[in-house]
Amino acid sequence: MTATRERGAPAGARPGIRRAPLAKRFWAVLSRNSVFRTLGPFVPVVALWWLVAEAGVFPDAFFVGPDRVVAEIGELLRKGILPGYLSDSLTRLGYGVGFGLLIGLPMGFLTAMSLRVRKAVWPILLFFQAIADIAWLPIVIVWFGFSLTSVTFVIVYTIVFPLMLSVVAGVEQVPGELIRAARSLGAGRIRVFVEVILPGALPAVASGVRTGLGYGWRALVAAEIIVGTSGIGFMMFDARRVGDVSQVFLGMIVLGILWYMLDALILAPFEKATVERWGMVRSMEGDG
Amino acid sequence: MTPDPVPAAGRHAPGGRAARRARRGPRAGFVGPTLWFLLPFVVLVAVWAVIVEVTGVPKRIFPQVDDVALALADMAASGELAEHLGASLYRVLMGSAIAIATGLPFGIALGASPALSAFFSPLLRFSVALAGIAWIPIATLWLGYGDGAVIFIVWNAMFFALAYNTMLGVRRIPTTLLRSARSMGASRWRMFWEVLLPGALPSVVSGLRIGLGYGWRGLVAAEIIASSAGLGYALFLAQKTFSTDVIIASMVIIGVLWLIMDRLLLAPLERRTIERWGMTGGAR
Repeated sequence: MTATRERGAPAGARPGIRRAPLAKRFWAVLSRNSVFRTLGPFVPVVALWWLVAEAGVFPDAFFVGPDRVVAEIGELLRKGILPGYLSDSLTRLGYGVGFGLLIGLPMGFLTAMSLRVRKAVWPILLFFQAIADIAWLPIVIVWFGFSLTSVTFVIVYTIVFPLMLSVVAGVEQVPGELIRAARSLGAGRIRVFVEVILPGALPAVASGVRTGLGYGWRALVAAEIIVGTSGIGFMMFDARRVGDVSQVFLGMIVLGILWYMLDALILAPFEKATVERWGMVRSMEGDG
Repeated sequence: MTPDPVPAAGRHAPGGRAARRARRGPRAGFVGPTLWFLLPFVVLVAVWAVIVEVTGVPKRIFPQVDDVALALADMAASGELAEHLGASLYRVLMGSAIAIATGLPFGIALGASPALSAFFSPLLRFSVALAGIAWIPIATLWLGYGDGAVIFIVWNAMFFALAYNTMLGVRRIPTTLLRSARSMGASRWRMFWEVLLPGALPSVVSGLRIGLGYGWRGLVAAEIIASSAGLGYALFLAQKTFSTDVIIASMVIIGVLWLIMDRLLLAPLERRTIERWGMTGGAR
């Protein structure tokens, strides 16, 4: 794409010297634009997808072009199915994340504060983290049936353990000199926690939230497929059962875009901001 | 990794394991931490037994410890355990082998070429978000229910994490190293084998660890949804008949297996490669 645009512009017009740099300058400006750099690569990929679908390389029942998927989006939007399922999925994720943070953060800090507790709980944390979240779904279904509680339980579970592990790791990263310095300056236990340990552990906590949400997102899709009442995951699997490929494609695209937005617009900036703050703490350490 | 140590570990973990370790090599520094690692589990199991005993929860809701141990022994004796374990491990091995064979060269190519990485980075980030479980419906449509679809999911979950981390690892190689190797007349082939690959290795291994984490979850989900063998399938079957003892036994096996893979295989590998990278850094 790059080559044809750069070479094509001067060749089509008169071979003037002023035109070529203009096209090149245009390309240079374009390639520095962050929106173009992010979305640009998708253009040839979608074009290729379309070409492959139009050429009929794969049978229609297995592979559909972007035109069919767009038509399907319009159809589902009009019927109100897509917004309904989308809000179902997001509500479940919201509940899961909310309870996950409420449980994971305090438990993580409680574990991290005492060396003895940490030593005793660490192996158990590792083990529960090792039992893949989805593996809980069967027993959760036995306990709560095919309900919102089951899905929420699994998401909360997925988020709590990576979060606790990150909180413990983050608290361990806080340099001991900082804590001792604050203590010798007369700070009480609570002030040391609020003003030294909490901000110091924040970058690790932020990346823990990001990892946990990443796992939770996947768990949500799997849980919706298995529990199968509503939501994007259910829509995809239901469509697969009927043999409607365009809805399966549509579901994957919606999931990808949603997570990309969540990650790029909320989680990544949050992580970056806390890391910058941690940098502040670091430089303080250098001074002292 | 024969299947028989697993049920043994589930039933009388502390004595059996520590004793075996001690027999293998009398390393005093190893037995202590192992015991410390296992002690919390003994406490956990004891608490579990007491709570179930005191509250009298029906077995259908939450089984007693010996029920689970019996279920494990049953599964081991009937050969069911070996069958499921074999199916799951085969799929993980195949999936990760294909992921390494495809993701590693791809990641190195991306890291070595700025144009390629500028083009593929947004696509990769998008795909990482999608990787694994979201592919289950389409994978079962393309490949049918069974080994093919599950291996595809494991590969898919690992590929993107591996490629992305490999790319980051190659980019982190100091330019001085690249330039000096090139100025001393290294061919493309030698650059790949002696500079790019070892330089990126620490990042590659952590990518492998992250990817395998996703792959393992993907495996369990895919087996529950789309297969007729494997640990996930065992869970699915047990849920149909409300046999909570078998469900918990399978969960314990899944947890123990992942702990073995992660702590005894991947974590030491990561440490070793980081040490090796330190060496190359020192040579600079």
